[in-house]
Amino acid sequence: MHFISFILKNLTRRPVRTALTVLGLAVAIGTMIALLGMSHNFEASLRESFEKRGVDLVIVAGGAPDQLSSELDESLLDQVRLMPEVEALDAALVDLTEMYKREPRDANDIPPSMQVIVQAWLPENFGYDDLDIIAGRALNASDAGHHRAMLGKTMAENLKKTTGDTITILQQPFEVVGVYKSSNVFENGGVITLLKDYQELSGRKDVVTGFSIRVRKTSGNDEADIEAVRQKILALKDRHGKPARLSVESPQNYLDKAGHLLITKAMAWMVSVIAIIIGVISMLNTMVMSVLERTHEIGILRAVGWTRGRVIRMILGESAFLGLFSAVAGAIGAIAVTYVLAQMPKVNGFIEGGIALSVIVQGVLIAVVIGILGGAYPAIRAARLLPTEAIRHE
Amino acid sequence: MSNAGTEFLLNAEKLHKLYPDGQVRALNGVSFGVKAAEYVAITGPSGCGKSTLLNLLGALDRPDEGEVYFKGEPLSTLRNLDAFRARQIGFVFQSFYLLPSLTARENVQIPMFEGPPRSLRERVQKADELLEVVGMAHRAGHRPGKLSVGERQRVALARSLANDPQLLLADEPTGNLDSDNAEHVLNLLTRLQRERGLTLIVVTHSNEVAERADRVVRMKDGRVVEDRTTAAAK
Repeated sequence: MHFISFILKNLTRRPVRTALTVLGLAVAIGTMIALLGMSHNFEASLRESFEKRGVDLVIVAGGAPDQLSSELDESLLDQVRLMPEVEALDAALVDLTEMYKREPRDANDIPPSMQVIVQAWLPENFGYDDLDIIAGRALNASDAGHHRAMLGKTMAENLKKTTGDTITILQQPFEVVGVYKSSNVFENGGVITLLKDYQELSGRKDVVTGFSIRVRKTSGNDEADIEAVRQKILALKDRHGKPARLSVESPQNYLDKAGHLLITKAMAWMVSVIAIIIGVISMLNTMVMSVLERTHEIGILRAVGWTRGRVIRMILGESAFLGLFSAVAGAIGAIAVTYVLAQMPKVNGFIEGGIALSVIVQGVLIAVVIGILGGAYPAIRAARLLPTEAIRHE
Repeated sequence: MSNAGTEFLLNAEKLHKLYPDGQVRALNGVSFGVKAAEYVAITGPSGCGKSTLLNLLGALDRPDEGEVYFKGEPLSTLRNLDAFRARQIGFVFQSFYLLPSLTARENVQIPMFEGPPRSLRERVQKADELLEVVGMAHRAGHRPGKLSVGERQRVALARSLANDPQLLLADEPTGNLDSDNAEHVLNLLTRLQRERGLTLIVVTHSNEVAERADRVVRMKDGRVVEDRTTAAAK
């Protein structure tokens, strides 16, 4: 018999208790993995999108945590376009706006609505190149003034709309000219329309929320080329001759500081920490019970020569295995839950099914640490038992 | 180490032990020695200190005063009493104390985790050999719940021999057995003690068990009141 076999046999002696402990901890670990996984997916999706589009710098208003809360004068774009080092520019007005779930039946009908991310793009944005057009076509300059839009794949599925159909944004009908698939989960769950049309409709004339650029690399030192352009953009002045006060960051820096990602991460960790604390207490309770029940038996083990260290290893081994089993069950549960959530219309477009391996590994490690933390006190308590007292214990 | 010469394998010198409540003396100056390969029975009425003495001799507990010597070495100076117990002493208890979730073969292997290094295969082989010695090879795969009380005590006896100890301490080894099983276990103990040259100390209420020993040490009120050689030794 291996020592590990002995540890596992101890766990299978009380199958119901072991199963309930694993279940309780699995819920905690699963919650943590699911939340951290979703947070990770958001960021990974945005990073992938930036990488695919070859974005070198992301520009938003200084102090704005992300594009949704940023506001820039569109005239700045003309100054940037004039910079010879700028290879391409992609500008947008990003807005979280109300959209009807179905079209109004008549003038008095107000259909149920939902919040949707609308991206109003320039017709020449390089972002179109990255979109996989799965129905219809991409927007172009000839669509200006016609209230036309493209739907992300997830959004089209949720609304059951395709090309030729009409959607209503800000109480105005828009013709769907195309359906696209993007590497960016937010774009898949959103709508793209043309900048001028949306500016006019939303009353935000000459406003963009941000832009990204590709830098022309000529010196052989890409970082230096990018930094030079960054400094030039930082020095831009607005139409009144005052410093434009822009935030000009690499995509990674932008993601590191992006407010919605920070909030998502913070929420995920906050709930995870609560789940971890509950997990440790649950494990502590189980292992204290287990040690109390086996006081007599631990006395026998000590009597036949087992060292305090081996008794500690036995108890910690049991709790670590409980943590490991919980992590496996929790990870499976988290994958299943995120998959199901990703199919639900209410959150579809904001949640991507599947969880990164790195997040699962993180969850497993935390579960084992929870196991060891929860088992530490009972293990020390067990090791301190005097053989004679433990044997007398009934 | 006046009385701690190598003449004795085990030597108790002026042992004192108070009960945990601190009011009653369980042992009150007990001294006696046990030679290698000797079979000693400790008898006396309940509460006279027999089991307390056995615990001190087996390094399960420490005396409040006095010293226990093993091969002339005081146990109080041993750094690792656990290792000493694991390798030098085998214990047999009245209630067997087998682990219920393990088979007989696995129970016998329990002390081997702290004994001389052995591979898994060697541990299993050793356990099977010992079960064969106590006539339990055919029940090696059974858990204690499926064994009779006599069989359980034989498995416990095999477990006590797992690390080939020099000293075997048995606390009322037949106390929970019917007369047939008691006779069987007693014969086994005696045979093993002789064949293996074990030093055997048995705590017992039973005169029958005591008279099989080479010596009988009788205790009363925490003291040794009689120490005699039996007919079996002659």
